[in-house]
Amino acid sequence: VVTGQTIVAILPELISTVFVILVLLVGAFAERNAGISTGLAILGTLAVFASAAILLATGFSGTFFGGGYVVDAFALYFKLIVAGSAFFAVLAAARWSGETGDAPEYLTLILSVVLGATLLVSMRDLFGIFLAIELATIPSYAMVAFDRSRRESAEGGMKYLITGVIASSVLLYGLVLIYGVSGSAMLSEVAETFTGNLTPVAVLGLVLMISGFAFKLSAAPFHFWTPDAYQGAPTSAAAFLSVGPKAATFAVLLRILLEGMPEAAATWTAIAAFLAIITMFVGNLAALRQRNVRRMLAYSSVAHSGYILAAFAALQGNGIPFAVQAVLIYSAAYAIMNMGAFLVIDLVGEDTKNFNGLIRTNPGVAVSMAVFMASLVGIPPLAGFFGKLWIIIAGAQSGSVLVYVVVGALVVNTVLSVPYYFGIIRNMILEEPTTETVRSKGAGAIRFSVYVLAVLATVFGLLIIPLSALVRASGLA
Amino acid sequence: VITTVTILIPLLGAILMLLLPDDVRLVRYAALGVAAVPLLLTIYIYFAFGGDLDVAALTQDITWISSLNIGYRVGLTGLGFGMFFLSAFLTLIAVVASWDINRNLKQYFAAIFAAEVGMLGVFAAQDLILFYVFFEITLIPMYLLVGVWGDENRRPAAIKFFIFTFLGSTVMLAGFLAFGILAGTYSMDALGGGGGLSRTAQLAVAALILFGLLIKVPAVPLHGWLLDVYVSSPISTNVLLSGVLPKLGTYGIIAVAIPLLPQGVEPFLPYLAAFGVINIIYGSFVAFMQPDLKALVAYSSIGTLGFILLGAASGNSVGLNGAVFQQVSHGLYSALLFILVGVIAAKTGTRRIGELGGLAARMPWAGGLLALGALAAMGLPGLAVFVSEFMSIMGGYTAFPVQGVLASLGIILSAMYLLYMLARVIFGPIEKPAYDELGDAGPMEMASVVPLAVLLVVLGVFPALLISVQRPAVDAVLALIGGS
Repeated sequence: VVTGQTIVAILPELISTVFVILVLLVGAFAERNAGISTGLAILGTLAVFASAAILLATGFSGTFFGGGYVVDAFALYFKLIVAGSAFFAVLAAARWSGETGDAPEYLTLILSVVLGATLLVSMRDLFGIFLAIELATIPSYAMVAFDRSRRESAEGGMKYLITGVIASSVLLYGLVLIYGVSGSAMLSEVAETFTGNLTPVAVLGLVLMISGFAFKLSAAPFHFWTPDAYQGAPTSAAAFLSVGPKAATFAVLLRILLEGMPEAAATWTAIAAFLAIITMFVGNLAALRQRNVRRMLAYSSVAHSGYILAAFAALQGNGIPFAVQAVLIYSAAYAIMNMGAFLVIDLVGEDTKNFNGLIRTNPGVAVSMAVFMASLVGIPPLAGFFGKLWIIIAGAQSGSVLVYVVVGALVVNTVLSVPYYFGIIRNMILEEPTTETVRSKGAGAIRFSVYVLAVLATVFGLLIIPLSALVRASGLA
Repeated sequence: VITTVTILIPLLGAILMLLLPDDVRLVRYAALGVAAVPLLLTIYIYFAFGGDLDVAALTQDITWISSLNIGYRVGLTGLGFGMFFLSAFLTLIAVVASWDINRNLKQYFAAIFAAEVGMLGVFAAQDLILFYVFFEITLIPMYLLVGVWGDENRRPAAIKFFIFTFLGSTVMLAGFLAFGILAGTYSMDALGGGGGLSRTAQLAVAALILFGLLIKVPAVPLHGWLLDVYVSSPISTNVLLSGVLPKLGTYGIIAVAIPLLPQGVEPFLPYLAAFGVINIIYGSFVAFMQPDLKALVAYSSIGTLGFILLGAASGNSVGLNGAVFQQVSHGLYSALLFILVGVIAAKTGTRRIGELGGLAARMPWAGGLLALGALAAMGLPGLAVFVSEFMSIMGGYTAFPVQGVLASLGIILSAMYLLYMLARVIFGPIEKPAYDELGDAGPMEMASVVPLAVLLVVLGVFPALLISVQRPAVDAVLALIGGS
């Protein structure tokens, strides 16, 4: 039965649906549609953000549609991240998509991903989760391949599509096996069958499901599509896909594991620990060798997936509440700093040489980029520091030797990542400008976004006070 | 509140610097003004609260991250006050001594002030995480100061500095986190005496923290990063680099490791004292062989840091007071020597000791002050360094006789290389005809060194000025570790 309550509960999704349709219609019927569609898309992302924020502020919560759909502080928190990052992606896409004349189509794709990702974090049903993931992923294939002026875009999109489809089928196999074992797709009922003793089929289902997620989250050894896709994609697409939908995917994985199979934690924390260690090392070691900043950031996003997976490994013992908080805090911090770094690439260029002497030609952007890079390393008092702090604390509380190893690997990887992030800072500040240094590419909206994100990353230490109160309220455990 | 204001003023100053127009005179005066405020505030604190620093006007305890029990907790103790003052003082000196910086002056001062925020903050932090945050805030400004304004070898030097010290502080953070998680809080006040940790846990935590801090000091053999950085950086940065930064490490040992983890640190104390002695002797021998005046001062600086480690390890009142005091007197004399090296290099165009000679005849003031600094470094009575080195050795000898005797040997070694240096640089015949034309240090240069020399003498004659402030805090540490 659809009641008024239900309508309120799915308000963010309803709003994004309405705007998906509106922007698409503008594309079909209006001439010179770039301005209108951009305005609508900005309005849409802000409206989704505002509706989720209002629901969060009023403490709205409940389950709907027979228990398959849940609205709680945890879900709303991630809806905020998705809508917030989409807002900056739209700003970043505005000028570029206006020039190519495809603004409505491209912005429709962004809004569709928003719809899928906001639905995803509220799903409590295995097949609902699968559908929402696909709803968020299928438009993103098109986003990656959208830049028709560059061949890399088509190549990246193709690779992303093929691996994505394989990942989806692996994920679906896993979900089906889990369904077969438990006889229900509802997470609450799955939890009754996933106890300490897992049958081989159940283990296979769990492993396949996590492998499918690992593809989507670009965790090693399933990360190989990431550099090509992010290098080829339009910058706004890479920026958005690497933070918004990714955060939502982490969120739903957390929900599946904690609500659907809490008693099998010994098995899946071990898998997460294993994935985390490989992912951190693979991401950082590969990033060290990159000359192209976009590829470097792609591998860096692999490494950061590893850091978040380290929090998943800590989901045991006393570490559980801290690990959940760590995922929440890290997702927000990562969204700010990674989005910012990608947007700077859009302004400056993707070759490390483009950054030489940027401090002289473009001081504001250079300082912002330095903030993002230092934050990605985890230097206090910037955003990334707090994310790592929480993960380390969660790991230390977990009381498991394996997790201590993971935390140790995280610390080692943090030091390992210094050279490539600081390589950019060095180029910007210590080198002389060259002919390849870009003076200024205009783009007021992107510049504005970069400054806003840099300020957010800098004052994260103050934001952490309200944020951590919010985070504690949204604890799943 | 006063403490917080003092820490935040340089931050505002840094922002102000970036907003100023490109007018060299204006920028210099504004920087002087900004640098003077924290110094005046610390002087006010000294006279108003010097007898008892533990007052509400100076402390603050605000919840920051409640679920982790991390707070913005600041306050001054006798252990940190001397360095809190010296950080503000040397920042002003560094601003005055920045005559050699001729490009991007605004940004240079902004970086200095950003570093000052971290330095002041470390000596006032009363929460382990806050301590770490301030500790790291100094990192990027110092990286930029060396990397942007240093000499031709600056880039590798800056990167080396960054990676080494970041590695050290990361290990230190691991120790802090383990400590806080086991004890349930990061408040340094609540953690005194071990925070309820078992001896084994304290040992493990202390090992991590000490390792991290000893890289920062740096204790030989963890000093690999130091020489390039000291030699490459501009003179005014050297003032902070040798005057304050090593003390982040030694202060951490004295104010964090020893009182908070007494049982964990105890087995390491003989080695800490031995590290001190190795620093003293190694620093002296290597300084002896340096052809470059600046490198000589750098190694001399490493050497005399050893006295801080020795005194800190002693676990008795004399030694600890000496160590806390030596932090300040080391800062004064090494800043003095580095600036004078800069003056001499700027006038003569070389830092090679072999090419210098007879400077006293043409530069009586600079030469005389160089002699004063060198005499201070070798521990001449009547100067501040003598008091603190003597106390460190006395305390060290009581606790560890062998290390104490070897350390006093270090004084003889330092006298050897410093006198030999003086003989070649300022005495003797004038080496080159060009030196006949040299003028003495100018007014700006004198303004940057004379206050240091005055303070060296004043603290040498009236050490009680500082010791009276630090003694209550040292007694509190002794009560925690059960020493006398």
